[in-house]
Formats: sequence, C-alpha cells, structure tokens
Amino acid sequence: MERKQPDLVLIVARSFATKLATPTLITDARGDLVFFNDAAGEVLGRPYLDVGELPVSRWQELFEPRTLDEEPLTPEQTPSGIALLERRPIHGSFVFRGLDGREREITVTAFPLFSHPDEVVGVMSIFWELPAEP
Amino acid sequence: MIVRIWGARGSLSAPGPATVGYGGNTSCVEVELADGTTLILDAGSGIRELGQRLAERDPGLLHVCLTHLHLDHVEGLGFFGPLWMSGWKLQFWGPPSATTTLRDRISRYLSPPLFPVGLSEAPAEAIFEDVPREPWRVGSALIEAETVEHRGPTVGYRIEDEGQVLVYLPDHEPYLTAALDDEPEWISGWALAARADLLLHDSQYTEDEYAHRIGWGHSSVSHAAAFARVAGVRQLGLFHHDPMRSDRELEGLYDQAADSLRGEQEPPLIAREGMEIIVGRG
Repeated sequence: MERKQPDLVLIVARSFATKLATPTLITDARGDLVFFNDAAGEVLGRPYLDVGELPVSRWQELFEPRTLDEEPLTPEQTPSGIALLERRPIHGSFVFRGLDGREREITVTAFPLFSHPDEVVGVMSIFWELPAEP
Repeated sequence: MIVRIWGARGSLSAPGPATVGYGGNTSCVEVELADGTTLILDAGSGIRELGQRLAERDPGLLHVCLTHLHLDHVEGLGFFGPLWMSGWKLQFWGPPSATTTLRDRISRYLSPPLFPVGLSEAPAEAIFEDVPREPWRVGSALIEAETVEHRGPTVGYRIEDEGQVLVYLPDHEPYLTAALDDEPEWISGWALAARADLLLHDSQYTEDEYAHRIGWGHSSVSHAAAFARVAGVRQLGLFHHDPMRSDRELEGLYDQAADSLRGEQEPPLIAREGMEIIVGRG
C-alpha cells in the first residue's frame, strides 16, 4: 500500500463536483483528467466509471477538441490547459467529439485550484453544451 | 514513543461528575520521543496541567504542533506555564494561511478583549511557523503534516519515531470527501494515517447526531472506525469526545467501535485524561 494521495484541495474539488448538477471536470497539476461528474458524463458521452482517469494526451486524443472554426486545439490551448499553464481563470467555447461519437459545442469556465499562493494542484472546468443552431 | 493524554474532549471543556472518568479538558497530547524530545499536540485546556508538570524541569525547547486554531485547540495557551516563564523556547507549528502569519492568528485570541495579556508580553521565546510542506525532523522523529477535511485551515500530524507511528487527527470529517469503503486515495487523511500503530481520531458524534451535523467538520464513531479500517491502522483511539457525552455514553460508543473493528486490528481505546500509551507495544 503506497502512502500517496492527491492534495486535499483536489480531493475536496472532486467531492464538490460529485454533488453538482452542473457538468464539471477536474484535471490535476499535470493536466491529466482525474474526474468528471455524472452531469459531465452526459455531455461527454460516457460516464466517468466507464472512462476513469486519463493522461492529458489520451483525453485530448479521445475528445479531439477544436475551435469553433474547426482548427485543432492542443492541450495547452484548451481552457483547462490555459488555466493550468497561465494560472488564471478563463472562459471559452470549443467543439469536441463525445465518446458516443456525437459532435458537441460547449462553453467552458476553467479556473486553477491553488493549494498555496504559489502552488496549483489542478484545474476545475465547468461547462455547458450550447444548443445546436437551428 | 510515549503518548500522554492531557485532554481529549472536543469543542468545549466539560468538567463534572458525569465526565470525570475520561476527563473534561479539551485537546492536548504530550509525545515523548525516543531521544527525550517533547512534542505537544494542540493547546486545549489540557495543556494547563501539562505546563505545571513541565515547569518542574529545567527550561528547554518544546515543540507545540497545532492542528488548527479553533478555540478548543488553543484556549489553554494563556495558562501554559512555560510560555510565561523566561528561559523556555517554544517552537509552534500550525496550519498555513494564504494571508496571515501563525503568530498574528494566535494573537487574535491572546489579546484584549478576549484575553487580558498579549502574546508579546510572554517572557518565553516563542517561534511560530506554518508546517512545512515536506516531512521534517524534530528530535528523533520524522513529522509529516497534511491538510485535512475540517472547517477552516486544519492539518493532521504523522509522527514516526524509531519505526513506530502515531497519527493525530482530532478534528476530521473524511466522510465528507468520499465514501469510506472504496477509493482510499480520495479520502481525506488516508495517506497520513495509513498503517499507523496508533491513530487518535475524531469520534465526536453518534450516527443520529452526525445526520444533523454533516459538514460541521467531525466524525461519527462508526466513521472513525471505518476510516481506521481503510487506513489499516493497528489501533484506533477514540478522541475529541462530545462535551455532552457522559462517561457511560462514551463506553456505549466504544462497544460499537469495538464490534465494528473486531478481528481486524487491536481493540480500540477511548482516549482518557491521564492515560499513558507506549506506541507500538500492544
């Protein structure tokens, strides 16, 4: 049994997300996906229990995030990537492919989780699916 | 490592005939390390009597590890003999704050109108530091502090001395962070408590009480037992007794914890004022 676990701020963020009805996704200090809640699972196309934790490269590959103009987004260009690297909140919209194969347009607010004034332990992203244009 | 309990009551001192068995003083635990170094865990009202005992010695260095600054964990400081005697050096460790020093936060209590004498008037040399983010050495022990789930900045302590481990989590609500029967790495305090020889853990509430106090920062007895089980500790010490709990009621709760842990680890104990525990010797 290895004595290792995430920072309490990440633990509490995850606990908070489980209780939210708003789609919420949490990444850690490396950008790896560590959790998304049931509401997020509806938008992402599959529940967290079926997906589990994913390294940043893998979840970027799975979801194929793109700008609204269909330009590919690197991990560093997504809202959660910017929040992590630039240590600031950000709001933006992009397109991705859900795990059920359906394309979706979402708007995201992502903000860094500081455990100390100089230490970011992860990012919390809350998002909404934008209604399809008529 | 010798552990002496000077106060195990939570929230408010509770003297009186109904609590005389386990004691009414709030949190304070003395830890005597293998090399003779003295650590003090929290400065509740139990520290008053500990101070009287320590004042019989020649002045020296004492380490005071504060889990958090709720009054029941610092209220004894104003009556802690060594703080008011020259020659003593007190090294205080406490939870970090993003905005205020530990000294300033403690001074809020040790200053008028809450207390007549200010901390700056104390003759002892007092040093205040936020707990380091990495384990650090005090005497013969390696100490680790981690933030844990409770209201306000709060840390728990893991003290490893010559292969024996004491973990002190007097105010802790792990159930708020995750179910206590799976995914241990997502349970507050799990890594700190893992495989401890003795875990002194919050056990303030009954199940019925907890249902009405979710989020207040404390555990029920059954949550304490479940946490001890998932952390694989050798022995659970029930701690931070509710001030309304009589000795008889405490013993009833003990039976519940003992039943729940039967066969998995050593029988739990109820922390009692005056109790001395040699950690690692069953």
